[in-house]
Amino acid sequence: MVDSSAAGAALVTTRHLVKVFGKTRALDDVSIEVNAGETFGLIGPNGSGKTTLIRTLLGIAAPTSGEALLLGQRMPNRAVSRQVGYMSQASVLYSDLSVQENLAFFGALYGLRGKRLAQRIGETLELVDLADRRGVAVGVLSGGMRQRISLAAALIHQPRVLFLDEPTVGIDPELRLEFWDYFARLNQQGVTIMVSTHTLEEATRCHRLALLRFGKLIALDTPAALLAASGQQDFDHAFLYYARRDASADAAGAARPLAQQ
Amino acid sequence: MFASIRRTLALAIRIVRQFVRDKRTLALLFLAPLLIMTLLNFVLGSSGSNSLTLAVVPPPGLGHDAIQQAISKGLAKAKGVQVIYIDADQVDAKLRAGDANAALIFPPDFVSATSVGAQPSVTLRLDGSNPPAAEQAKTLVTFALVSLNRSAGAQPGDPSAAPVALHTSYLYGGPQYTQTDALAPLFIGLFAFFFVFLLASVAFLRERSQGTLERILVSPLSRTELTLGYVLGFMLFATLQSLVILGFVIYVLRVHYAGNLWLLFLVTLALTIGGVNMGIFASAFARNELQVIQFIPLLIVPQALLGGLFFPVNTLPVVLKQLAYIMPLTWANFALRDVMLKGLGFSDIWPDLAFLVGFAILMVVISAISLRQERA
Repeated sequence: MVDSSAAGAALVTTRHLVKVFGKTRALDDVSIEVNAGETFGLIGPNGSGKTTLIRTLLGIAAPTSGEALLLGQRMPNRAVSRQVGYMSQASVLYSDLSVQENLAFFGALYGLRGKRLAQRIGETLELVDLADRRGVAVGVLSGGMRQRISLAAALIHQPRVLFLDEPTVGIDPELRLEFWDYFARLNQQGVTIMVSTHTLEEATRCHRLALLRFGKLIALDTPAALLAASGQQDFDHAFLYYARRDASADAAGAARPLAQQ
Repeated sequence: MFASIRRTLALAIRIVRQFVRDKRTLALLFLAPLLIMTLLNFVLGSSGSNSLTLAVVPPPGLGHDAIQQAISKGLAKAKGVQVIYIDADQVDAKLRAGDANAALIFPPDFVSATSVGAQPSVTLRLDGSNPPAAEQAKTLVTFALVSLNRSAGAQPGDPSAAPVALHTSYLYGGPQYTQTDALAPLFIGLFAFFFVFLLASVAFLRERSQGTLERILVSPLSRTELTLGYVLGFMLFATLQSLVILGFVIYVLRVHYAGNLWLLFLVTLALTIGGVNMGIFASAFARNELQVIQFIPLLIVPQALLGGLFFPVNTLPVVLKQLAYIMPLTWANFALRDVMLKGLGFSDIWPDLAFLVGFAILMVVISAISLRQERA
């Protein structure tokens, strides 16, 4: 176990994080802290660096410069990865295996076995309302169901921190609401959540939001404070306000390379 | 390097489950080799001895019977060789038409020359477009001429003249060994390596493209465990495949077999570890399944061609020979042939095995490096 209590309440920390792919600065000097028990939203259009930020934090991508810490540790770190859950954009499952077999595989990767594994499979399927689909091959399930199984697989080992990369992309409004209810329930159980989305109406359900544009952090605050400071009525306009402010700052600085475009 | 057996097993079990679900791949693994072995058996069996036609241009003054008798002595072991008699001006026409595979041309002065003790020269004209038949005709005729020369030269027309008795003995196997016998061990190696390489690289490619590899790399499963799990899962099917092929060639095709099953298993094990890891490595350079298939002419076909399956390695040109000696299948073929045909033991094949183990280790290292690159 990694002792994160000594490092204060921040479970996720980035300091001046930069990630460069070729000529693209996917992350440009991003510094954030996510506290225990928070639901932290990453907001921004496609290509703004949300996925890269999550992948860098998880240790799938290495930072070009700066620091990315999970539970106070640099990733990859096996002790930390045991306490972290990850659900990526697409439903990441083996379509030729049954729901039960998929969850059993991911559970076993985290050291779950026997009764404990069976219990966790039951609990997570209960949470996503798919307890009756255990024996069905994942390949024949609908997209929405697969997305729910993906979430169950990310939760199988009871992570302390959960990374959700656009978990509601491409699913119908009803299921989207259900998903946010799941997230709220998990958050109440003490799970810290970092969730990315480009659906701004989901933003209000987060405790705090980080707004990303071309890899840069352009604003970071609670949803209410972000709205108030922008003087706008809704998040679409609020985001535009911060984007324009950032763009004019760029123009004034005029030193930034255009490589991000 | 620390590896949890449980996590490794979880991965191996998952791979086994996916195999079991995938009936088409199972059929490819187990039925395709049997189909190919069966076809091969028929092809090799038919091109053996019964399709050879030898045209003879007899010398004047020597009866057909005497020649027939002499030739048939030389051809005692080769059943089904048909002998036809033609005139000297028909030779090329017969060969061109495919009515004969070879023509044996006696000079007109054959009898007179031999009766005065001179050595007359006999010409053998071959259809070079069919090398196996040509080679066979050459061998047969050489044997036949030995006895013909003797009987014609010593006492013309006397059937009681004692011909040279050609005594043949075998170091390994015997006259009952056919080409199928000689090829069966090599096919076990080829199939094990080929299918394991193909299926492992496709499986790993899918893992990569469907995002599950990323999901696994985020979990506590280490890269060592990932590699081990893959090897273990594929090992089970490679072993089963070898056993099925072995059982089929021994009990159905009635191939002769002299060796030790454990040594066969060791060779297959080393080949599988090498093949799985070569597959994992290759998958990093492929974006889809078709691109994996494109590796076959590059990585598998040269090994099949040069590894001793079709041509003995020591008859290859120097450059190709050197190439053959860095190919795992060449060494697997040496070992498999020694074990299955010659009945040799571990003390005889350990250098071959050592090369295969070295290759396997090299591939494990290379695939581990390619997995490390995964962290972009």
